[in-house]
Amino acid sequence: MTNSIPEFEDAKCVLITGSNTSEAHPMIGTRIMRAKEKGAQVIVVDPRTTQMSMMADLHLKQQPGTDVAWLNGVMQVIISEGLADQEFIKERTEGYEDLEAAVEKYTPEYVEEISGIPAEQLRQAAKMYAEAERASIVYAMGITQHTSGVDNVLSCANLAMLTGNVGRPSTGVNPLRGQNNVQGACDLGGLPNVYPGYQSVADPEVNHKFEEAWETELPDEVGLTVVEMVELAGTGEVKAMYVMGENPLVADADINHARESMKNLDFLVVQDLFLSETAEIADVVLPAASYAEKSGTFTATDRRVQLVHPAIDPVGESKPDWEIIQLLAEKMDAPGFDFASPEEIMDEIAALTPIYGGFSHKRLSNGNVLHWPCLSEDHPGTPYLHKGTFSRGLGKFHGIDFTEPAESTDETYPLILTTGRIMFHFHTGTMSRRSEKLNQEVSEAYVEMHPKDAEQIGLNGEKKVKVSSRRGEIKLAARVTDRIKPGVVFIPFHFAEAAANALTNSAFDPIAKIPEYKVCAVRVEAV
Amino acid sequence: MIQEIRDLVSEKLKKLDGVVALRKTDQGTAPTLFQEGDDVSQLVLEPRYPVAKTVSKLQKRFKDAKFGVVARGCDTRALVEMVKRHQIDPDRLYIVGMACSEEQAETCYCAEPAPDLDPWPEADLVGDPVPGAPPNPMVAEYENLSREERWDFWNQQFTKCIKCYGCRDICPVCFCDACSLEDPLWVEPGLLVPDFPMYHLIKAMHMTTRCVACRQCETACPAGIPLTVLYDLIRKDVGNLIGYIPGADADSGPPLSLTLADAPIDSELAK
Amino acid sequence: MDYSNTQTICPFCGCGCALNLEVVDGEIVGVLPANDHPVGRGSLCIKGWNAHSFVQHEDRLKTPLIREDGDLREASWEEALELVADKLGSIKSEHGPDAVGVLASAKCTNEENYLLQKFSRAVIGTNNVDHCARL
Ligand code: SF4
Ligand code: SF4
Repeated sequence: MTNSIPEFEDAKCVLITGSNTSEAHPMIGTRIMRAKEKGAQVIVVDPRTTQMSMMADLHLKQQPGTDVAWLNGVMQVIISEGLADQEFIKERTEGYEDLEAAVEKYTPEYVEEISGIPAEQLRQAAKMYAEAERASIVYAMGITQHTSGVDNVLSCANLAMLTGNVGRPSTGVNPLRGQNNVQGACDLGGLPNVYPGYQSVADPEVNHKFEEAWETELPDEVGLTVVEMVELAGTGEVKAMYVMGENPLVADADINHARESMKNLDFLVVQDLFLSETAEIADVVLPAASYAEKSGTFTATDRRVQLVHPAIDPVGESKPDWEIIQLLAEKMDAPGFDFASPEEIMDEIAALTPIYGGFSHKRLSNGNVLHWPCLSEDHPGTPYLHKGTFSRGLGKFHGIDFTEPAESTDETYPLILTTGRIMFHFHTGTMSRRSEKLNQEVSEAYVEMHPKDAEQIGLNGEKKVKVSSRRGEIKLAARVTDRIKPGVVFIPFHFAEAAANALTNSAFDPIAKIPEYKVCAVRVEAV
Repeated sequence: MIQEIRDLVSEKLKKLDGVVALRKTDQGTAPTLFQEGDDVSQLVLEPRYPVAKTVSKLQKRFKDAKFGVVARGCDTRALVEMVKRHQIDPDRLYIVGMACSEEQAETCYCAEPAPDLDPWPEADLVGDPVPGAPPNPMVAEYENLSREERWDFWNQQFTKCIKCYGCRDICPVCFCDACSLEDPLWVEPGLLVPDFPMYHLIKAMHMTTRCVACRQCETACPAGIPLTVLYDLIRKDVGNLIGYIPGADADSGPPLSLTLADAPIDSELAK
Repeated sequence: MDYSNTQTICPFCGCGCALNLEVVDGEIVGVLPANDHPVGRGSLCIKGWNAHSFVQHEDRLKTPLIREDGDLREASWEEALELVADKLGSIKSEHGPDAVGVLASAKCTNEENYLLQKFSRAVIGTNNVDHCARL
């Protein structure tokens, strides 16, 4: 997120797209509700009716996978109505001509043809957003989990820059990260192309710095993403995988294929709290301690780094993940893994990671709230980014054209499936489904479908259905509701026994390598 | 005041098994059980937490122990209601009552900012009691609304509800293991926004003879729903109807547990 | 006889609410919100309020497990780590470091993610390290 969570409350307009905010990020959802009570206008662009859309001033229901089109449309209106922030464009950005040329043809009428959003609503939304004194864009996986994910994200950035809604409090482009430490896992180099702090592995200087610090030679070629690893496990090029606290066999797209691939590994190690679906096929399973049994830090979606404290001793013989890695490194005679505590690890992080340079456990205690970049011990942290300048200097506009999603519907698979989260469960459910209270709210998978589509397949009485795609099929309950657009169905992905990801398409964005979870073609039949 | 409370707690810890109070460490502030030898300089009075519930939990778990608690006016009212419902044993409880400041009373719209220690076998008061604060002006405003406006008001408010159950979980007088809010017969599970108005009406009905106006549910409500406007209204009606004020009187049992014959119904109002 | 609260961070979504885990004699019995935290300000969602419920669940893995004749059996840490070190070492030397893939975790701490990517890059010698951020 470019801005911090409390800032939402003072926004004058919040544009939410691809985020079921009050369910997936409840404390951000309620902040936005408060902003609305203080006079902000809220626009939701989502094919489903959600709590946020019910409260919104405007709800635009786009056809899934048409985000570049409507975003371009919004910008087309802003430019043609003279609502662009010319001063900001002149002083802080470059490439405006590219954008202008690219969006020109996206008139509201043309966008209506592609996205199904009524032209008039699009105009209204554009004005609402552009005329607000402080406008904030909020998005989540509904924007990124597409083959055009990067294009979607760049389009959001285009829109914010076009109206000068960057670098000030309560504005910005705010991707909401789903899991409690996705932000941190990215920040700390859990990515194939960068060291901690987004320092490129291909940059010789950076590589040298880490080689010095870690006293060993380091590879300088970008590695494989999870999607590629799983793919190459199938072909035998990847022989072993070490999985810490992840459950790719429920979370990955097209999991039937993923399971076959991972079964092909010579050696699979899984380190987890429970015997997850992935652990079930492992060769060695290592029992990890939970968040309640260890210390360390998590980084929230707004780059806020916070301390975790142990409440109890590790359950059974389980050990905190950091200890396990250390023991393993020792077994392999590797130097540089003899930390006495996570506190010491943070000191090494701070020394090598400029954006975390000012953090230490000591400084983070006493409820001290700090957002990275925090460059040194006396740096106050950065609640909102890009004040005065962008990290690359000038902000770059990208002229982007709409492209169709990878998979389209046909006679056999006439409906579009989109997946997501619900309030009462979390990710692959390994934790939340073991909570009695959460499970009693929702205990089984379901598919949401519009009454018209339900009628088409003659659904009545007993509402069990089979949903199939070109990759797999699952059986689950149907919830017939007009919360969803006709032609589109929704399945929460938390349930391993009726895993939405048995259906999803693993076709991915060429740059971000994010699979297209949000659009695939399916058929629903009554069973 | 704080020093006086710390001294008193240190003194009492010599005889008690522990005292429930807030502790501030470098992690933050939360309730804890102070025991002999613990650093009472960590004892603080803010922010508020539902300590009555903590006391009940601990008394049930440690059946012979005698605890103390640092309690405000609202805490003692909650303790009274819990005693009536057999969730707390007054004979195993010592109370350090603290009088709230005028400012605190105003924030809470509190009518009784000082704890009433008469009903307790063992208690001390620290601080000077201040008079009750004026009621929440929203209640009077609400009373001027028409029926339709009232419906719209609550509909709009409750559309913000994210079904966190925080209002129940934080409530110092909610303790049931089986909660009607989780009974599929009354409230459809897994729905967001939760059933309007059932979810909130059930909660409100259960508060009629219990809500001690501590306002902690409003602090806990992420959506900023003015829940105690509803509870204040209902309490007012119940007060007028049968003269029952939750937490005020240790001797009168919870009204719904009385038979009609011995309920203190004001026959004029009941008509 | 012991009752205290430990303030920590919710394990679920990215909002990063602080919460208190209520512990009685080593058992986590409940959650209280953190009234002094800037995001929750004394509130949590239903997941946060139930963040304690899976921690001491009976399904928790309590010992390392090793697959033998198709089934997982309990093993000591010594045996399990020995096996992992051995296997990763031999796969690395036979097929090169890039035959190994490592997944860090969006649910583990920063320190743990740091250490795992260091392990992957410095000990195994591969940049094949990723996590499920995209998933
Ligand atoms: S605390 Fe507020 S949001 Fe949570 S259940 Fe109660 S009314 Fe709803
Ligand atoms: S309490 Fe709810 S909103 Fe807060 S971090 Fe946990 S899951 Fe997210």
